[in-house]
Amino acid sequence: MTAESGAHALEPRPKPVHRSPLVSDGVLGMLIFIFAEVMFFAGLISAHSVVRSQAAGQMWPPYGQPRLPVEATAANTAALLVSGIVLVLAWLAFQRDRQSARVPLFLAILLGAIFVFFQGLEWVALLGEGLTLQSSSYGGFFYLIVGAHALHAVVALTALAWAWWRLDKGRLTAPLLATVSAFWYFVVLVWPVLYWKVYL
Amino acid sequence: MSRFWTTAFALVVLATLPESAHACAVCFDARGESRQAFLATTAFLSLLPLGMVAGTGLWLRRRARRMDADNHRSDP
Repeated sequence: MTAESGAHALEPRPKPVHRSPLVSDGVLGMLIFIFAEVMFFAGLISAHSVVRSQAAGQMWPPYGQPRLPVEATAANTAALLVSGIVLVLAWLAFQRDRQSARVPLFLAILLGAIFVFFQGLEWVALLGEGLTLQSSSYGGFFYLIVGAHALHAVVALTALAWAWWRLDKGRLTAPLLATVSAFWYFVVLVWPVLYWKVYL
Repeated sequence: MSRFWTTAFALVVLATLPESAHACAVCFDARGESRQAFLATTAFLSLLPLGMVAGTGLWLRRRARRMDADNHRSDP
């Protein structure tokens, strides 16, 4: 060891700079999960587009298959979008005063539940009209894509309800609300794309 | 020489596998709509992950810069 390197060894080390993380662990994990889910829905949409382009006589829906309720689902889509907006308001309220977020968070959950409920009613009606998973590729894609989205919506609503329960008990943290909200925003934002590709 | 035959064998296997799996190497369909759909979905599925990664990178960079600016402002 030279004298110079020894002197370097004796120099006090600079104090590490403590930086707060750019995003919480929960939000980062949720973002990675959402990326995977985006690719899942992108794959479904791509397969749907290819099969639709190969439909006999470019007829879509195929002959004998019921038409999807475009107008009723548009109203339902509006409820889902409003739910996303109300959740943004809940987040802003949470940052000001935590307890003031109770009402908007509850409203967001309620609007999301209304969306899922009416989607369920739509499914029952379509099954009654003869549209099933096996009736055609049209029915198969409809139930696969819309069903996958409904499953995500139910899971996200359960997570939001859990967050609301924690808020009610005074135990909800900002990173937790941001994490479950990110999942709901994904459910809300992916739906217009699915609506456009599947219903229109 | 052994490497040459291994490579040649691998190429022959790769060349014959799609046929036995009844797979089409180029997903060809004579109709314009189908070809357009294949092209559009290929582009969509290729660019979407790149866009997501790039978007997240840009968002994190902007967030880091904003946090640094806030820290400098709060330092005495």
